[in-house]
Amino acid sequence: MLANRKLILAHFWLAFAVFGFALTLGAWQMFIRSPIGTWLSNPELYYRSLTAHGTVMGYVFPTLVAMGFGYAISESALEQRLVGVRWAWAGFWLIVAGSIMAMVPIALGRASVLYTFYPPLIGNVFYYLGVVLVVVGSWIWVALMSVNLRVWRKAHPGAPVPLAMFANVAGSYLWAWTAVGAALELLLQIIPVAAGLKNTIDAGLARVFFSWTLHAIVYFWLMPTYIAYYTIVPRAIGGRVYSDSMARISFILFLVVAMPIGMHHTFADPQVGAGFKFVHSAFTALVALPTLLTVFTICASIEIAARLRGGRGMFGWTRALPWDNPMMLALAFSFVMLGFGGAGGLINMSYQLDASIHNTQWITGHFHLIFGGAIVIMYFAIAYDLWPHLTGRELIDIRLIRTQLWLWFIGMIVTTFPWHWVGILGMPRRMAYFDFGDPAIAPQALSVTFSAIGGFILLTSGIMFIVVLARGMRAPLVDAGPYRFAIAVHQPTTVPVALNTHALWVALMIVLTLTNYGYPILTLATTEGTSVPAVYVGAQ
Amino acid sequence: MSSEDAHRSVEIAARVERRWATIAVIIVVGMALLAAFAGIHRATMPQPRVEITDPSRIHLSGEFVESNLGSVLEANGNVTVRAIGQQYSFTPACIVVPADTPITLRATSADVVHGILIQGTNVNTMLVPGYVSEQLMRFTRTGDYLMPCQEFCSFGHEGMWGKVKVIDKTDFANRAKAGGRLSCVGQ
Amino acid sequence: MSAHDLFTLGNRHFRIGVGVTAAILIVTAITGFIVLPFAQPWVQFANVWDAICSAAGVPQRAANVTAPEQSKRLSEVVLTSRTLSRPSQEAIGRGATLAQRCAICHGPTGISRADSPNLAGQYAAVIYKELHDFRSGARTNAVMSPFAVNLTDPEIADLSNYYAYLPRLPAYHPTPQLPKPNIVIYGAPMRGIAPCGACHGSLDNKTGSPWLEGQSEAYMKAQLQAFASGERRNDISQQMRNIARAMTPQEIEAAAAYYASQPSDVVKAVD
Repeated sequence: MLANRKLILAHFWLAFAVFGFALTLGAWQMFIRSPIGTWLSNPELYYRSLTAHGTVMGYVFPTLVAMGFGYAISESALEQRLVGVRWAWAGFWLIVAGSIMAMVPIALGRASVLYTFYPPLIGNVFYYLGVVLVVVGSWIWVALMSVNLRVWRKAHPGAPVPLAMFANVAGSYLWAWTAVGAALELLLQIIPVAAGLKNTIDAGLARVFFSWTLHAIVYFWLMPTYIAYYTIVPRAIGGRVYSDSMARISFILFLVVAMPIGMHHTFADPQVGAGFKFVHSAFTALVALPTLLTVFTICASIEIAARLRGGRGMFGWTRALPWDNPMMLALAFSFVMLGFGGAGGLINMSYQLDASIHNTQWITGHFHLIFGGAIVIMYFAIAYDLWPHLTGRELIDIRLIRTQLWLWFIGMIVTTFPWHWVGILGMPRRMAYFDFGDPAIAPQALSVTFSAIGGFILLTSGIMFIVVLARGMRAPLVDAGPYRFAIAVHQPTTVPVALNTHALWVALMIVLTLTNYGYPILTLATTEGTSVPAVYVGAQ
Repeated sequence: MSSEDAHRSVEIAARVERRWATIAVIIVVGMALLAAFAGIHRATMPQPRVEITDPSRIHLSGEFVESNLGSVLEANGNVTVRAIGQQYSFTPACIVVPADTPITLRATSADVVHGILIQGTNVNTMLVPGYVSEQLMRFTRTGDYLMPCQEFCSFGHEGMWGKVKVIDKTDFANRAKAGGRLSCVGQ
Repeated sequence: MSAHDLFTLGNRHFRIGVGVTAAILIVTAITGFIVLPFAQPWVQFANVWDAICSAAGVPQRAANVTAPEQSKRLSEVVLTSRTLSRPSQEAIGRGATLAQRCAICHGPTGISRADSPNLAGQYAAVIYKELHDFRSGARTNAVMSPFAVNLTDPEIADLSNYYAYLPRLPAYHPTPQLPKPNIVIYGAPMRGIAPCGACHGSLDNKTGSPWLEGQSEAYMKAQLQAFASGERRNDISQQMRNIARAMTPQEIEAAAAYYASQPSDVVKAVD
C-alpha cells in the first residue's frame, strides 16, 4: 500500500536531480586536476565545486533517499497510511529551502570551506544555516518514522515489527543522534563566528564534534542499502531471508557501535588523547561485525533462491541465480565493492596502517568505493524496484538498466582503484592541481588519468539512470500490485521484546557516545586558551 | 514440512549462524590485537600527550620562534625537528635530518588546519592551530622526500609542498657542530 | 515479556547487550589508558595517574624550551582577523592629520609619485604591521624608519585605518597591462609556491599580506629580492621568504612587472 506516492516520488526525484548535479561536478573535478585537464587559473573554483559536491552528496542526496525510502517502507511494510503527511511535506520543503540557502553562498564562492567545514576557516553564515535546515528537515522524518511505528504498535500489540520497518526506524534513530555532533559544532561554534558574534574558535574541539557525525553518517547512508539487501533482494530474486533475527541483530549492532568510533578520523590529530584513539579503534573493528553477519545472511539467502531455482553443488548453485535480474546484478556489484571497500576500511581502522594513508587520495578512493559504489548502486536498485509501484508504470528498459549498473560498477572500479594506489604513493587530497611534470610525482599521472576516465564512465551511467527513471514516468500503465518485502525462511510469530523495540539499543548508543566522547569534548570545551582566531575565506 | 521438521531446520540454521558469528568475532578480535601489537613493536603510536599553544603568538616566544625552527642534534644522539605550517608554506620549507636516527618531529600551525605528510613513509600528522603535534620518525634511506600539506587550508593549498632531505648520519653530525638549527633551505 | 521488563537484569538481551558492551569498554579502556602507555619505552610517565591523564588527552601547556637568540630583530606583531576590523570616523580623521607627513613619499592621495608603495585603500592590517615593524626595527629603511620610530600604538592604528579608508586610485605612472605570468597564476606547486592571489587579495587575503596591483615595479622587485636573500625578514615565520627564495630571478621580474601593470581598482575594497 503506497498511498502517498507523490511525497515519495518528490523525495526521490529531488534526490536524483541533486545527485546528477553533484555527479557532474565530481566528474569535472576529476578531469580538471588530472594530467588531461589544464590547470585552473582560479583554484578557488575547484574548492567551490568540491564544497558543492560534498555538501550535496554527503548531506542532501542520501538523506532524501533515506527519507523517501523510509516513507515507502512505513506505508508498505506496516500497511498503514503515513501519519503526519503534512509534516512530511514540511520536512521536504525545509530540505529544499536549506539546500538553496546553502548553495547560493557556495555558488558565489563565499563558502569554499568544503563540506567538512574546517574551522578556523569560516565561510558565509548562510551556508551553515542551510545545512542546519537540511538536518532539521530530516529530523522531522525521524520523528515521523517513530510516530508511525508507535501508531502501528498500538494497533498490533505484541506483533513482530516487520523487519524493513524495524531497520528503517533504527536508521532514523542513528541519524538523529549522529547529526547531533555536527549540529553542536555548527550551532555552538561555527555559526556564532560566521555571524560575527565571536571571532575565535576551538578548531580541535570542532574536529572532535565533526568526527562524532562523520563516521556514523556513513552507516546512515548505508541503512537503505542494507535494508534492500535483507528485505528486497531475496524477494526480487525469488528467495527467502535466511534469518530474521540475525538481520535484526545486525541493525542493532549498527545502531550501537556505529556511533562511538568516529575518532578514527582524528588518529593523526594532536588534540585527542592516545587512549581514546585506541578505544575508538577497537570499536571500529567491532563495526565490521554486523557487515560480516550481513554478508553471511545475504549469501545464504541468495543460495536459498538459487536452490529453489534448481541450483546444485557446493558452488554450482551460483549459476542458477537470475543474473539478468537488475536486483541480482546490483547486489553482486555492491558486494564486490563492499568487499574491497571494507578491506580498505579495516586498514583505515588501525592507527598504524592509517598513518601511511591518512588524508591521502586513498581515503577519497575508499569512501567513494563504499558510498558511491556499494551504497549508491543499491539506491539505484531501490529506485528501479520501487518505480513501477510509485508511477503505476512499467520500467521497460531492462537492458538499459543492466548496462547502467554495469557501467556504474566498472566506472567505480576504474575510478577508485587507481585512486587508492596514488594514495599509497602519498598523493594528498583536495588539491586543485598537481605538477605531474615533476619527476617526483610523474609516476602518479597515469593512475590519475584512469581515475578521471572512470569519472566520466560514472557520469554516463548516472545520466542513463536518470533517463531510465524519466522514461519510466511515461511508460505504459501497469498494475504493479502491492509493494512487498522479502519474508524469512522461518517467519517469526513472536520476537523477543529487545529485538522488536529500539529503546535498549538507543540507550546503549547514547551511553557509549557519552563514555567515548564525553570526556574529550568536556575537557577541550573547558580548557582555556584553545580557541584560535577565525580565518574568514574569501575576505578580501 | 511438519512442525518437527521446521523445528529442526530452525535449529540447524541457528547453529550455522552461531558458527559464522564466532568466526566473525574471532576475525575482529584478531585485528584489534594485531593493531595493538604492531603499535608497540613498530613504535607507531599516537602522540602520548595533548599540548596546547597560542597560534597567533608562536613567533614571539616558546619553542616555535623562528630561531628554533629546524633540526637539532640532542645530547643523546637523537634529533628533534621543529616546524610550523602556515598559509601556504612550511617553515623550514626544507627539513634536513640524518638517516638511521630516532627523530622527534614537533610541529604546529600558525593559522588554520594543515597536515604534514612525508611521501613514501608513514609520517603523517595533522597540524591543528592551538595544539602541538608530535611524531616519532626514523629514515633508513637517504634522499629527497616530498612533504605536501595534506589538509585543505584555503585557496593556496595546492601550492603548499615542502621537502625533506635525509642525509648521511656523519654529514649531519658535522653540520650540527656549527650549532644552531639546521635546515636545507636554499640548497 | 512486556516492554517494561526491557531494562531489567531478568531480560537476557539486556544482560548480554549491556554486559558485552561494558566488558569491551573496560578491556579497551584498560588497554588504551594503562597498558599501552607503559608499553612504549620511548615515553616516560611519572606515574599511573600521569599515564591515564595523558592518554585521556588532558591538555598540557607545551614545555618551556630555550630557543637560541635571534641574530636579528623579527616582527613582534600579532595579527589576526580581528586586527583593526571596525574603525570609527574619528580614528580615520586623526589618521588623516597624521598622514600629512607621509604625503612627501606616499602622495597626498596615498598614491606615490616615486617608487614608494601606494597606500590608498591598502588593507589596514598591512599598514599596521609594517609601521610596527619599522618602529621596532624588524624592518629598516633609511627614509621610513625615522618616521615610524616616534609613532605611538594609537597613531599607528589611526594611520592604518585612514589609508585603508581611502579609495583605490590608479597608479601615478600607469603602464600598459601585461598578461598574467604563470608564476602569478599558478605559482609553482613543487617548489612550494602558491598562486600569489591566494594571499595577496585577488583570490583571498591572508591577514597582513598587501594587495599589489599598481604598486611600483622597482619597489616590488626590490622587496622580493630582499626576501629571497634574507635581507628583509619581518615576515612572520618566514611566510614570504619561503616563497621568494624559491622564485627564479626571472619569475621575480615577471611578477613585479605584472602587478605594477595592473589597475589597482580590480581588487575589491575591504568590506
